[in-house]
Amino acid sequence: MPRTGRLTTATAVLAAISALATACTGQGADTASDDPKADVTLNFWHGWSAPSEAKAIEENIARFEKAHPNIKVQVTGNMTDDKINQALRAGGDKAPDVVSSFTTDSVGKFCNSRAFADLNPFLAKSGVDKTKVFPKTLLEYTQFDGNQCTLPLLHDAYGLVYNKTAFAAAGITEPPKTWSRFTEVAQKLTKLKGDSYEQVGLMPTFHGYETKPTRLAAQWGATYFGADGKSNLAGDPAFAKMLTAQKDLVDKLGGYEKLERFRNTFGDEWSAEHPFHTGQVAMQIDGEWRASMAKEAGVPFEIGTAPLPVPDEQAADYGKGYVAGTIMGIASGSKKQNAAWELVKYMTTDTEAVVAFANAIHNVPSTLAALESPNLQVTPEFKTFLDIARHPKSSSTPAKADGGTYQLTFEDFAYGVEKGDVTDIPAGLAKTDQQIDTDIAKAK
Amino acid sequence: MSSAHTGRRSSRAVLHWVGVHSLGVAAALFFVLPFVFLLLTSLMGDRQALTRDLWPDTWEWGNYAKVWHTPGFLTWWRNTLLYAGLGTLLTVVSSVPVAYALAKFRFRGRRLALLLVIAMMMLPPQVVVIPMYLFWAKQLDLSGTLWPLIVPMAFGDAFSIFLLRQFLLTIPDEYLDAARVDGCGEVRTLLRVVLPMARPGIAAVALFQFFCAWNDYFGPQIYASDNPAAWTLSYGLESFKGAHHTNWNLTMAATVLVMAPVIVLFFFAQKAFVEGVTLTGVKG
Amino acid sequence: MTGAHPLRSKRRRSALRTAAFLSPWLIGFAVFFLYPLLSTVYFSFTRYDGFRQPAFNGLDNWSYVFTDYPLFWPAMRNTLWLVLVMVTCRVAFGLGIGLLITKIKTGTGVFRTLFYLPYLAPPVAATLAFVFLLNPGTGPVNTLLDAVGLPTPGWFTDADWSKPALTALALWGVGDLMVIFMAALLDVPKEQYEAAELDGAGAWARFRHITLPNISPIIMFAVVTGVIQAMQYYAQPLVAGKVAAGVIGGSGQQFEPGYPDKSTLTLPQLVYNLGFQRFDYGTACVVALVLFALSMAFTALLMRRRGGLIGAGE
Repeated sequence: MPRTGRLTTATAVLAAISALATACTGQGADTASDDPKADVTLNFWHGWSAPSEAKAIEENIARFEKAHPNIKVQVTGNMTDDKINQALRAGGDKAPDVVSSFTTDSVGKFCNSRAFADLNPFLAKSGVDKTKVFPKTLLEYTQFDGNQCTLPLLHDAYGLVYNKTAFAAAGITEPPKTWSRFTEVAQKLTKLKGDSYEQVGLMPTFHGYETKPTRLAAQWGATYFGADGKSNLAGDPAFAKMLTAQKDLVDKLGGYEKLERFRNTFGDEWSAEHPFHTGQVAMQIDGEWRASMAKEAGVPFEIGTAPLPVPDEQAADYGKGYVAGTIMGIASGSKKQNAAWELVKYMTTDTEAVVAFANAIHNVPSTLAALESPNLQVTPEFKTFLDIARHPKSSSTPAKADGGTYQLTFEDFAYGVEKGDVTDIPAGLAKTDQQIDTDIAKAK
Repeated sequence: MSSAHTGRRSSRAVLHWVGVHSLGVAAALFFVLPFVFLLLTSLMGDRQALTRDLWPDTWEWGNYAKVWHTPGFLTWWRNTLLYAGLGTLLTVVSSVPVAYALAKFRFRGRRLALLLVIAMMMLPPQVVVIPMYLFWAKQLDLSGTLWPLIVPMAFGDAFSIFLLRQFLLTIPDEYLDAARVDGCGEVRTLLRVVLPMARPGIAAVALFQFFCAWNDYFGPQIYASDNPAAWTLSYGLESFKGAHHTNWNLTMAATVLVMAPVIVLFFFAQKAFVEGVTLTGVKG
Repeated sequence: MTGAHPLRSKRRRSALRTAAFLSPWLIGFAVFFLYPLLSTVYFSFTRYDGFRQPAFNGLDNWSYVFTDYPLFWPAMRNTLWLVLVMVTCRVAFGLGIGLLITKIKTGTGVFRTLFYLPYLAPPVAATLAFVFLLNPGTGPVNTLLDAVGLPTPGWFTDADWSKPALTALALWGVGDLMVIFMAALLDVPKEQYEAAELDGAGAWARFRHITLPNISPIIMFAVVTGVIQAMQYYAQPLVAGKVAAGVIGGSGQQFEPGYPDKSTLTLPQLVYNLGFQRFDYGTACVVALVLFALSMAFTALLMRRRGGLIGAGE
């Protein structure tokens, strides 16, 4: 065969393949023309897995089905974002119509890729004014560039859970409010045993469950992105200060290696053997659920809760914290979007539903009305977190097109700092900025 | 031979025996101790599994019942058996004729075909996973099922073809010629003459394929992960610790339960195993 | 083989027959190898997230992987480390255990079974077990090391020790190589040893000049298959990293790949990270092609050095 012929064949093959590859990628347009009154079955995926949480979902759904006899809801639990993303892209009959995810970080990816339908038209159709229903910070983290592709479904605030009995034993009367006091208290609460610990005041390393860099950065009021949308880690001195303070705490409590070794003796974060429950740590940076989980595990000590301490120079802002929450959205590929909206509307905006669900899984409710509801069960430990959630300076991590990748990049750098691998923090942050900008540009 | 000589020799032999066997015991400890610790931990209580104790305070046999009754555990078993069983059957049925043709037919492009088989054999599954995933999930809407894992096995597995071909090469052509002279077509020659002689090779390939599927983690993660009803043991086990908030004792009990059938099978089919493994090497 | 067939129709029939016998594989080759491989090449030049149509973006993905993707070079280094160190250790250890088993005269069957069993442990199960056994705080291994006064490494939680820990896991499952080497060693003609012994050759000289040359094809085979496995090494490092970081299957949070400090990251994991976590199919395809090129290069290199795997019967 002459060479040109072969080339033509090759081109034809390539063309055929690209045709094949693209033929199947079309997505249904955002046509929400289905009749929400027709008999329909919705696929609903969520991430909860503990038996009590799964039961709460079932009850919530049962209430919804009673109010909407034409809609059946098929519930699948314990779904991670990877699987949700994968299923949304695959589409088809088995793909979910309605999704809820814990990972607030994914909102940018969900909205930017149009994985989820924009809910603004649905809100308008139902005459719901979202600014009157949801707190402002919650609306911010559920949308991306004006595309409200998710709504908040309950809400998490991060604070400090502490062992009151251990505090008393160490002669500490109240939870620390500033970072320097926090460092002192953590040291006081630390009891050594051999070359390890009997009890550590706090597991300060970034793998210490919820002790993530983003949680701490919120206490410093750090701003991740500048007005130009560029990564701002080096631009905002708060990041370097936070990293330095955390490294200092790690060193004062015995150093990275020794702490990590102790951390490896901890039980699973979601099991009854959580180190806070077992008394291995006296303070835990955690969400609003921890106090009630510890009680359910039957801990023999008293539990206190407080906001996380703030840097000394920001003492006036004590009370703020990191907030994030579960999000809920409608798959843009779903052919039952109007029916799906009924479910989303019910679960996210119906005061009774939100309050009942919040009570069942001990999360902070996500609507203004539910926050004020008399039916909301508020223990003193829980109230701390309601206050954190309402604090005007509480903050979240912004939604970006690359989902949570920028946070992973930042965390990766933070791991290096706590370990002592980084000598020049500002230079390292500048490099991290570049990486984040590159990744976000790639994801757009 | 003088008695002194024999004495020296025999004392050297005794030393040698002692040396070799103590090395053997040391190696045996390396291979066996992990199993022992695993079993011991699987019988500990929640708290104790997180301590440095090596011996259970209380023997929690109930751990195994708890794991067994974990939602989904039985489904993982069923799926794994289906994937490994059906997959193995399909692989053998589809690979034997190909291997036979490659070993015993003369045709143009035979060497090229063989090279391509080897290339496929060397190909990490991750290389083609993106288009394959899009193909199964988007075009055929079969993600969340075991079919994307099983169906390809009906089209010959490169490693099995290669091994079988190596094995079939050792069957002398005279047997085939004799069958052909008796008027057998190629299909009948294959079924009547080649298959019985190739039984050890087929057994080896089947075992390999079975374990490959049994142990596969990447495939189920890509194709089956979005539907818990399609999870296999490997994938389920990995999710087990997180999904059920279990501590190490239960995780180890689950691990033991996943390892056990393979080991039991080994004791029943020890000869085929060893022969199979040997075959892969010696014919290389 | 039988002689050539004289008649043309017979020849055509035999070609048809060949095609029929080969057909399962021919279809498999086209659908599960050629088509996806070419598609991978095509996608590697596009921006594709699974929702919007693939759009041609030239060499963007390629330059991102090689210059900007922070996980690529660590994964590449790890994969090369595994190919060089882990494969070498495994072959050497397998040969050692194979030699040992041929020398054991009492209880051979029991020893052989014990040595072989770990090979049968499913990788995910074996990895979970090893992460537990090598837990720096509570694991039995460090408890024992501590008891005899040896240093206690951080194993899967220490970037310097995580790959050696994975290597230990690979050595534990060395049973397949042991059996192969055992068979090969027993095949070495006894007369050669006897002759060498008469010449006064020591144990090392006998091993060097008789054993090694005789079993070198088998060593080559072990190396080739070892390299293939190292290129595809996926479940063990992934599970080890996730479990040791304490994030396994957690509440849907993104996990950092390659804990600790990217030391357990391998190229196949990048395909998953880019393709199924970041949903950048195009860039994932670039890594897939790098993996493809590497495996083909290694295979070609290794096969050229010996007559080739196809050798016998050609």
